[in-house]
Amino acid sequence: MVELSVKLEEENSVECALFLHYFEVEVLSVEKEMSVNQRRVMMEKLFHGIFFTAASIAVVSVALIIIFIFSRGLQPFFPGNEFGNYNPISFLTGLNWRPSFGTFGIGYMIVSSLLATLGAILLGVPIALLTAVFLAEVAPKRLAAIIQPAVELLAAIPSVLYGVFGFAIIAPAVRNISPYSTGNSLLAVILVLSIMILPTIASICTTSIRAVPGYYREGSLALGASKIQTIFKVVIPSAKSGILTAIVLGVGRAIGETMAVILVAGNSEGGIPSSIFSIIRPLTVNIALEMGYAAGMQQQMLFSTAVVLIIFIIIINLVLSKIQKKAG
Amino acid sequence: MNSRKIKDGIINIFIWAAAAFSVGILIAIVYFIFSNGLPLISSRFITAQYNASTNIIHMTSEQTFLQPSGQDIFSENLGIGLEQDDDGFWVNYVDTNSPGRRAINNADEIVPVEVGQLLQAVTGADGQLRVDANTSPEDVVAALNSSPDITLRLNEQGGGVWPLIVTTLLLILTTLLVAAPIGILAAIYMVEYAKPGKVVNTIRFATEILAGIPSIVYGLFGFLVFVNTLHIGQSILAGALTLMILLLPTMIRTTEEALKTVPMSYREASYGLGANKIQTISKVVLPSAIPGITVGVILAIGRIVGESAALLMTLGTFARLPVNMSTGNLSLREAGTTLTVRAYVEVNESGNVEMAAAIGIVILVIVFALNIISKLISRKFSKANY
Amino acid sequence: METKFSVKDLDLFYGAFQALHHINIEIPGKQVTAFIGPSGCGKSTFLRTLNRMNDLIDTVKITGYVSLDGEDIYSGVDVMKLRTRVGMVFQKPNPFPMSIYDNVAYGPRCQGIKDKKSLDAIVEKSLRGAALWDEAKDRLNKSALGLSGGQQQRLCIARAIAMEPEVILMDEPTSALDPIATQKVEELIESLKKDYTIVIVTHSMQQAARISDKTAFFLMGELIEFGDTNQIFTKPHDKRTEDYITGRFG
Repeated sequence: MVELSVKLEEENSVECALFLHYFEVEVLSVEKEMSVNQRRVMMEKLFHGIFFTAASIAVVSVALIIIFIFSRGLQPFFPGNEFGNYNPISFLTGLNWRPSFGTFGIGYMIVSSLLATLGAILLGVPIALLTAVFLAEVAPKRLAAIIQPAVELLAAIPSVLYGVFGFAIIAPAVRNISPYSTGNSLLAVILVLSIMILPTIASICTTSIRAVPGYYREGSLALGASKIQTIFKVVIPSAKSGILTAIVLGVGRAIGETMAVILVAGNSEGGIPSSIFSIIRPLTVNIALEMGYAAGMQQQMLFSTAVVLIIFIIIINLVLSKIQKKAG
Repeated sequence: MNSRKIKDGIINIFIWAAAAFSVGILIAIVYFIFSNGLPLISSRFITAQYNASTNIIHMTSEQTFLQPSGQDIFSENLGIGLEQDDDGFWVNYVDTNSPGRRAINNADEIVPVEVGQLLQAVTGADGQLRVDANTSPEDVVAALNSSPDITLRLNEQGGGVWPLIVTTLLLILTTLLVAAPIGILAAIYMVEYAKPGKVVNTIRFATEILAGIPSIVYGLFGFLVFVNTLHIGQSILAGALTLMILLLPTMIRTTEEALKTVPMSYREASYGLGANKIQTISKVVLPSAIPGITVGVILAIGRIVGESAALLMTLGTFARLPVNMSTGNLSLREAGTTLTVRAYVEVNESGNVEMAAAIGIVILVIVFALNIISKLISRKFSKANY
Repeated sequence: METKFSVKDLDLFYGAFQALHHINIEIPGKQVTAFIGPSGCGKSTFLRTLNRMNDLIDTVKITGYVSLDGEDIYSGVDVMKLRTRVGMVFQKPNPFPMSIYDNVAYGPRCQGIKDKKSLDAIVEKSLRGAALWDEAKDRLNKSALGLSGGQQQRLCIARAIAMEPEVILMDEPTSALDPIATQKVEELIESLKKDYTIVIVTHSMQQAARISDKTAFFLMGELIEFGDTNQIFTKPHDKRTEDYITGRFG
């Protein structure tokens, strides 16, 4: 389609040139003006080309990375792979990752990632939502005017610093109550992630609660509802799509976080976490820990891990666009 | 009636408690970073080298230098000024043409004399003079001026983040130099040229997914493709290329949003006055969209400053100036590391929370500044009456 | 004829700006009272003082005396309880983004009524009262936002009736509706007045003349004239009222 429109424009300019030529011969006095016009047409085409090239570069580079990761990541599961074959089922459901023994199971990592994300959402979202309610509905205006920008600033703190905080404060605290000798655990990961996503979710929720039209509140209050009833029965349900978007973004961030998690996960070599004090190894951590030295099938398996992560992200995005479509 | 009041009261308590918890935990993090990091921050923290080192370097003088006013201890032979305190003699001035700037070590690598280094020994015509706090300034100057060929032993104190800052800045510049033009031009194409339909929707969906892919995946890709396969090696260039791919989707999206906020009536007015498409874009659409685009670029800078997973293996983790040792110049082909990556490495490799927190303070200052700037721009922007 | 609202020396300020000046009025029960006047004359603001909706605006300050059945509504009265006695219908239909049933059941539920049977009965009675039952009975669980504008406004009236209020305040309830929907709402108001006291702000003098028993004319925050609708529209005492209803300004 794009090509077609370029062609059409080319034809137009050819016509244009012929037309100009005719005038050049016939009416010498306007010759100068015409050449200005011709230059304009040329410029137009040139810039069109530049914009198109930029868009193509963006699209192609984006397509390349996807193709590259998928082709690498899927190779071990198809015949003819130079490093041998691996059963995709035992890859996805395996409970051990021992590259030196040729064992690549990421089942327990998938469970780790999902549990950590679920925990972070269960813990972080209610607090974030109530904080948003506080900022948008309950807090005196002056207090909200101070706290809201602060929350937004905190959303910009790089995740590594949350990881440092988790390493120095949270993990030692968890060790105090843990039956094991280390504080690195599913619980520590959940705590770090929920603190990390808290400001992002809170500030998006605040924005969407603020966007709920005032006439809903008036309608509810005029029926004798209390302020709290109005907030929970009318305002929050009306802000549902924004709140769900925030939650989905939070899920995406939590499942994709790497550096903050490495510092407190314990990075186990196998086994489904049996309690919140178990050490875990989320998918992202697996890639980060081994990409520096992995080769052969181990390296391919890291790409396979990336493929699983990307599929999770695609599912999350599909859910998100469904939500947005439903909300209109 | 009464039960409703009690219920509302309880929920109200929960709301205040949640807000207090959020604010409290976030204050705790900022307090944690400042209280752990501040003891390491001195006046030299920003400008000093990261690692302590001692260099023995040779230089040959070809001219004499004028003593700058106020510079009491000065070698006319080398164009190098010193100041004395309880620790000894510190370099506090290096002339632009000083041979010290082209000094070489025993491995023939350029190791320039820099302000802030501690002079430990001078070898000239009269043999080696060991320099400490008790050496007289006259003796030091005499030794420095004793011969055209001088060898110095200089001590670099370390404990600063200068190399991290230089690397971070170079990385930002290089990444934006590539990503910003492509991202902005591509967004112009998407908004102003491409016909809305399946193609554009597909591109939009693809960019949305890419924006959500964890940065560690980009790191893995960049490491294998740029560092290994294309043999660029761990370097600013490899890091910047990786970040470019990581940032493109967000760049395109923010620019698209900025372009879309320009009202259609502006474009119509411009066409109505006989302007063509490119004139309309360059003279009407872009100027109105520039605040939005700027905010997008600032957010991208913030993302680069905060990024770690994508840089770990592409840029490297060495806290060094990305300097080519044989030319002595900064080079994009050299490895280095950013503030954020180093903060991670300090904790992960040696559990050095204090250093990570000290670096964290610098990161927080930068990130907060960027955030405030972008807020100010968008506030001004929304005040402009569109 | 009993007096429902009695207002004495009411002043209302938005910050430093005085929006209402010394309002004195006695609004009768079980009748339709219309407030008319040009835009910005304070008629809507005054309406909102009757169920204390102005409390929502921080900068508003009110002095004077407003009583409902002889009880001062600005001292010692529970605002939420007041609003269950004095319902309100707004200019723009504002059903909540939930089902028709849930909209009507909203108020009773907020009062703690959970019993499904009682709620069913309330919903049916209210929808019948608002002449919406026949149109809505088969889609009670569908979103209220799927109704037409006129239906939405009648739903809002049903929602108000569900609280069994004594008074229904209506703030230009038909200004966002087409003529046919307007007519239906007007018919509904006629039929409601035997059970409820209705106070309606309207921009349309014809509407006031058609449906109201009493009319109050406001200008620049002052109550200029108050009397039987018939008298106001045929023999106004005040020159300004006459100028307004004859269309000399507006």
